[in-house]
Amino acid sequence: MGVIGYGLGVVGAGIGIGLAALGATSSIARQPEVEGRLFTVFILASAFVEALALIGFVVTLIA
Amino acid sequence: MNPLDVLGEEMDELVNSFSSEPIVGDLNVGLTQYTFWMFVAIALLMIVVFVFKKKQAAAGMLPKGRFMNGIEFLVEYCRDDLCKGLLGDSWRRHFPFIASVFFFILANNIVGIIPGCKPGTGCIGTAAALALVSFVYFIVMGVRSKGPIGYLKSLAPAGVGFPMNALVWLIELFSTFLRLVTLAVRLFCNLFAGHVVMGAFALLSTLFLEPLLQGFSLTALGQAGASAFWLAILLIIYAVEMLVAVIQAYVFTLLSAVYIQIAESTEH
Repeated sequence: MGVIGYGLGVVGAGIGIGLAALGATSSIARQPEVEGRLFTVFILASAFVEALALIGFVVTLIA
Repeated sequence: MNPLDVLGEEMDELVNSFSSEPIVGDLNVGLTQYTFWMFVAIALLMIVVFVFKKKQAAAGMLPKGRFMNGIEFLVEYCRDDLCKGLLGDSWRRHFPFIASVFFFILANNIVGIIPGCKPGTGCIGTAAALALVSFVYFIVMGVRSKGPIGYLKSLAPAGVGFPMNALVWLIELFSTFLRLVTLAVRLFCNLFAGHVVMGAFALLSTLFLEPLLQGFSLTALGQAGASAFWLAILLIIYAVEMLVAVIQAYVFTLLSAVYIQIAESTEH
């Protein structure tokens, strides 16, 4: 059951990172000169989202 | 025999092997396997610094060779991207702190990625201690630039009416303390989860190879093929983990810099 719950949690994180990547790629396509700064923001946002999925993973394993 | 049948037990054993075990002393006063590898990482970092210093004294200010240029690139990256880019004029004051946190976490993560070693940051204690240091640092910096009352007041945004003001202040206070938790948990979970996933694929790879070692048959050969497939995935995940080791050091340091910048900024 825990594994199924973790899978459900990953759906959210997947949507989140997908949206972040969508925003980053379309912004870079419009304004290629901001790529360097956008990369930082994108990595930061992905790390925020990814942390939620990883908390789910670790809680699945520990609990 | 299906190798997947024993995977559950093996996974439990794998996860248990990640809990802190004391090598010397006990869990209160002593050395766990994580702290041991943390000291190894610190020693390696110091060796790198001293070798760099010695080479620099010999070669003058001009960097020569791959080693010196690599270290210089890392330090300059930390200075330009993390400090100057985010902190603006006050970067010089915070650079020692930011750089020490970055290189400490980076050394720990890279040592942890070597097979057989453990990441010092992969146990919740080290990660929480690092987060606490960062938390105290940015609060002290905020108090130093605005005064204790001024810092507490600056948590609420200016230009909001009275009742909403208090509510926003409470939420901001809560989220400030939440930063402590999220910094620690993010670092710990990334390292822990990455190592569990690598361990799981290593286990799959060995379990599927086992039937072939016991006796030759067609199913055993097929399972050995699956084992090679798991090994390929393990190598890919290993490469991803190398990336994660750097990115997590970067993210932790970047967030610390952002928090310092928020604490020090006058307009909010």
